[in-house]
Amino acid sequence: MTAPDQAAFAVTFTVSGRSISCGADTFVLDAALASGLKLPFVCREGMCGTCKSKLVSGQYDMRHKGGIRPRDIERGLFLPCCSKPLSDLVIEK
Amino acid sequence: MTQDLHRLLARRQPGYTLDAPFYTDADIFRQDLDIIFGRHWIFVGAEPDVPEEGDCMTVDIGPHAVVIARDDDRQLHAFHNVCRHRGARLLHERHSNVGNIVCPYHQWTYGLDGGLMFAAHMPKDFDTSCHGLRKVHLRSLAGLLFVCLAETPPADFDAMAEALTPYIAPHDIGHCKVAHTEDIIEPGNWKLTMENNRECYHCSAAHPELTRSIFAEGFGFAPVGAAAEAQAARFHDMVGTLHADWEQIGVPSREVDHLADRVTGFRTERLPLEDAGESETLDTRVACKRLLGDLSEKRLGALSLWTQPNSWHHFMSDHIVTFAVFPLTPETALLRTTWLVHQDAVEGVDYDKANLVAVWHATNAQDSGLVGKAGAGVRSSGYRPGPYSPDTESLVEKFCVWYIDRMKAGLAA
Repeated sequence: MTAPDQAAFAVTFTVSGRSISCGADTFVLDAALASGLKLPFVCREGMCGTCKSKLVSGQYDMRHKGGIRPRDIERGLFLPCCSKPLSDLVIEK
Repeated sequence: MTQDLHRLLARRQPGYTLDAPFYTDADIFRQDLDIIFGRHWIFVGAEPDVPEEGDCMTVDIGPHAVVIARDDDRQLHAFHNVCRHRGARLLHERHSNVGNIVCPYHQWTYGLDGGLMFAAHMPKDFDTSCHGLRKVHLRSLAGLLFVCLAETPPADFDAMAEALTPYIAPHDIGHCKVAHTEDIIEPGNWKLTMENNRECYHCSAAHPELTRSIFAEGFGFAPVGAAAEAQAARFHDMVGTLHADWEQIGVPSREVDHLADRVTGFRTERLPLEDAGESETLDTRVACKRLLGDLSEKRLGALSLWTQPNSWHHFMSDHIVTFAVFPLTPETALLRTTWLVHQDAVEGVDYDKANLVAVWHATNAQDSGLVGKAGAGVRSSGYRPGPYSPDTESLVEKFCVWYIDRMKAGLAA
């Protein structure tokens, strides 16, 4: 998933206790699935909201298609399927 | 069964209550749901029920499950609350805020305009454009929301909107918020709930809280005896004076009545209130310091507004109370009451919620008791249709005339 020359960030999942590496140009969900984590998802396009997760810390770039509302984002939720990391992330999953 | 209904409709005696089967029979109840609730404009709520982008409201009208959704351009849409995949109910909460509308079963994903955006595991040639949510007609009457489940709704909604919008507009529903909602199940056929609302014959004995502010004379009440006649004369003097004053300041007040001569029947009139004359509260003063819209006059009485078949409303300078009736079973109906205040009003600062809801909370409970007594009576073998007071119950008669006419027209269609 992560190209060798791509910057990578550490993504930590607090519930499973797992920590993975996610390239700067890789969607967080894709990196998690590639690492064998089982996260709920369906559309992988930011529409259905099935993967919606709570971000404990970190920055990301999200390009969703209506699967999450601004008020959810303000509450710290994001969609890993259409978000790329801009820093190390800690996710409540 | 339809033959029986034809016969019962044909033999209805003007000025009398309906035959017992109209209040008890399961087949007539199904015809009510089809003809009355399936083919007319049904009041379902107010715009403040769905104030923000992504807000959804569910409403069940008999077997018809409906969603009202506000999209990101703030447009409202109504659809059947049924997934086009395997028919699962999409939204279960009465109010929710969603990104897209996602079926909880297999995550078919619909936009807030009802279009199908995504369905996993369907063939490449699957046409999402043929599987959008089935639309329901939706109209806003100055912020009051109506749906019609028929393919072709009655064409006279615009005539109602034209007549009523100037009356409602000063109360500015668009800038209100829901302060409180109360659902109660009344133990009687939905028509008993409506008939009970359409008269104030029972008010004096049944509604001590409500009659602190309202005059029974505002609802067709005919006085008997010298004292009652003097009271009625005082009321009609007030109506004359206050209507002129109110219309002078741009607040329409005079009666408009099309309860029985329109497919989309309605009536309105702004009515004086007792004492301070400000609001339907225990002390007749406003319950909310922040007045509605741009109003600066507290003493605007109460605009009484009714629509056939299932709603009534009271608009005051400080708050609005809306009432919607939904049939549940032949002998039960849901009464949904919603109190609206200005969106900037702060609970505990501008209004005390207990004070705001006190009068109609008590009145609803009293009315529910009366509907239950009527329901118990009409299912008894000894029940025979009884006569309405020609004056005091003239508006109940108009409800029955409208209902009988619409049922006849529905069966003929």
